[in-house]
Amino acid sequence: MNLYIKTYRHLINPSPMIDGKEYLTSVYRSLGIDYPKFFKMDNLSKLGFLASELIFKDDPSRFVPREDLAVIGFNRSASLEADTAYQATIQDNKNYFPSPAAFVYTLPNIVTGEIAIRNKFYGETSFYISEQFDAEQIFRTVNHAFQDKKTRSVLAAWIESFDGTQEVFMMLVETETSEIPFSIKQINKIMNN
Amino acid sequence: MDELILKLKGEIIEVLNLEDLQPEDIADDAPLFGEGLGLDSIDALELIVLLEKNYGIKLTDPAQGREIFQSIRVLADYIQANRKK
Amino acid sequence: MIVRIGDNIISALGFTTDENYSAVKSGRSGLRLYDSCMDAPEPFIASLIDKERLNDEFSRTDFPSFQNLESLNLESLTVLEKASILSVLSANKEAQIDLANPRVLFIFSSTKGNVEQLTMNNEQLTMREDKNCSLSIVNYSLYLWQSAQLIVNYFKNPNTPILVSNACISGACAQIAAMRELESGAYDYAVVIGADMLSKFIISGFQSFKALSPEPCRPFNANRTGLNLGEAAATIIYANGASYGGGLRVGARNAMTLVGGAIRNDANHISGPSRTGEGSYRALRSILQDVTPDEIAFINAHGTATPYNDNMEAIAIARAGMDAVPVNSLKGCFGHTLGAAGVLESIVSMHALLDDTILPTRGFENKADDCSLTIVNQMMPTKKSYFIKMLSGFGGCNAALLFNKTE
Repeated sequence: MNLYIKTYRHLINPSPMIDGKEYLTSVYRSLGIDYPKFFKMDNLSKLGFLASELIFKDDPSRFVPREDLAVIGFNRSASLEADTAYQATIQDNKNYFPSPAAFVYTLPNIVTGEIAIRNKFYGETSFYISEQFDAEQIFRTVNHAFQDKKTRSVLAAWIESFDGTQEVFMMLVETETSEIPFSIKQINKIMNN
Repeated sequence: MDELILKLKGEIIEVLNLEDLQPEDIADDAPLFGEGLGLDSIDALELIVLLEKNYGIKLTDPAQGREIFQSIRVLADYIQANRKK
Repeated sequence: MIVRIGDNIISALGFTTDENYSAVKSGRSGLRLYDSCMDAPEPFIASLIDKERLNDEFSRTDFPSFQNLESLNLESLTVLEKASILSVLSANKEAQIDLANPRVLFIFSSTKGNVEQLTMNNEQLTMREDKNCSLSIVNYSLYLWQSAQLIVNYFKNPNTPILVSNACISGACAQIAAMRELESGAYDYAVVIGADMLSKFIISGFQSFKALSPEPCRPFNANRTGLNLGEAAATIIYANGASYGGGLRVGARNAMTLVGGAIRNDANHISGPSRTGEGSYRALRSILQDVTPDEIAFINAHGTATPYNDNMEAIAIARAGMDAVPVNSLKGCFGHTLGAAGVLESIVSMHALLDDTILPTRGFENKADDCSLTIVNQMMPTKKSYFIKMLSGFGGCNAALLFNKTE
């Protein structure tokens, strides 16, 4: 099956000196949207959410419920950042107040759910972990996702927020012909650009 | 009581990450869930943690929350009557 | 279509599929009350693996290659990794494939991996509170990929493992990934492992959601009181159905195949199940393209016994026109085993169907008013050849798998 990258976005916190939360808030403000739930998200979800907003903000048929789009995330450290934040609420039995709002983000796939909720995507949502960014695995997994007869588009993203790194590389892959062919070479080229 | 209401508003804004709200934006009698502040089920659970952590009030049944979390005023009344710290 | 050629379950109910299946069939449960366990401040009911037996069995494995692996310090393996390795070894006693062959792909599914190793000293905690800085990871076993890689190294398999972490539907996603990889012809065999262990981290989280039941759980029951958690490692070895020579080594009769699977999102809420069963219904609708409801022996539901989950599933199954299909849940036997649940419960259900049996729902007595389904409360025979496995998880994700017994 011939697939194409219809569009993509790449966001990186430019400096380790910039606080992650501040960086993400500044991108959110620049979008001029009103979505208070954004501030409840962990950084991983915020990154994925912002990239998806950039991809879909001008889509004229946006918010029309659809089942033909899959959201597939990939990263290295799963939800370790959120895990650490939750661990802080239970570490000390004398100051033990487990936070449900922190616990819910201790799963890497929550970001795919946040994007599905925002956009009314009823299609597949999945999350895969690998030791490093692996264009070959992303290429194969996205290709395989089209084996689901319903799937016509895949929103695929490498999303990492941990240990001073904040980066999201998100692309919309479709069966419909467009300029950039979907290939391992192209994935690497865009990612390293 | 007014002092507790103001303090509660600040605490709720902080723990529920209501980033774009100021305490004066929350009316004392406005519903917290549904139409009001638009809080959801996780927020309700987080308010239960707040009650325990800041006021020593332990709710075991989440259904109790529905009564108590009607509005800031109802919540403040409940805290006033039941607080252990 | 992919064919099951071997499987294993390690849980509180035993260390082989046979031990687990006979325990379930004879009505046993792994659920016990634990007090002052895992440093959890409150008592909890759970189904825990016997760690002594696990270490004992692991120390008696005589897999020849491990001595040559300098990168693999067997002493340092975690419970999760040991259980996974033992599970694969046991499943391969039946499958008898060369696990080191490059035509074999390992797929690992875990929700929380070794998260129990995430503890911080006071200094690190203070740092976090000060400036929101993240913890530097010194312990690499916290990375899920590291566990998957260790397991693959143990078996000297040269391929990078696939690692799925999709909340509580991970075990279904891993099987769907296996189906896609094998059907694309990229590999001949897939070793699908689902494993999760319990810790204070996981128990406290579910407690904070007020989701844990103070009694053994009662799926689909009126006034049910929530879920219990469980530990398990489970493995299914699949072969590509087309290239497997008509079930050459499984015997032409009684082979179990995974026919189809779908994952759909509720697009509603990150923790609350959809009130219309949206994602679950759509996943079911997708697999019903390949079968009609009257061909289905039973549906093995997620059936966690939380009020919202079971209600959501009842709505989804009814919407899909399957009110009359028998529905069971295995959570009363194993608890909710998180990332292992999809693999474990598929295995038990496969063996039930091979045994022409529909298993009862342990803990179920009286149907809830909001449920129009046919909940199985006692063991029943069946002559039908399909079953459906359902799962749902945080993030609004839902999965349905369709299995078939070929005769």
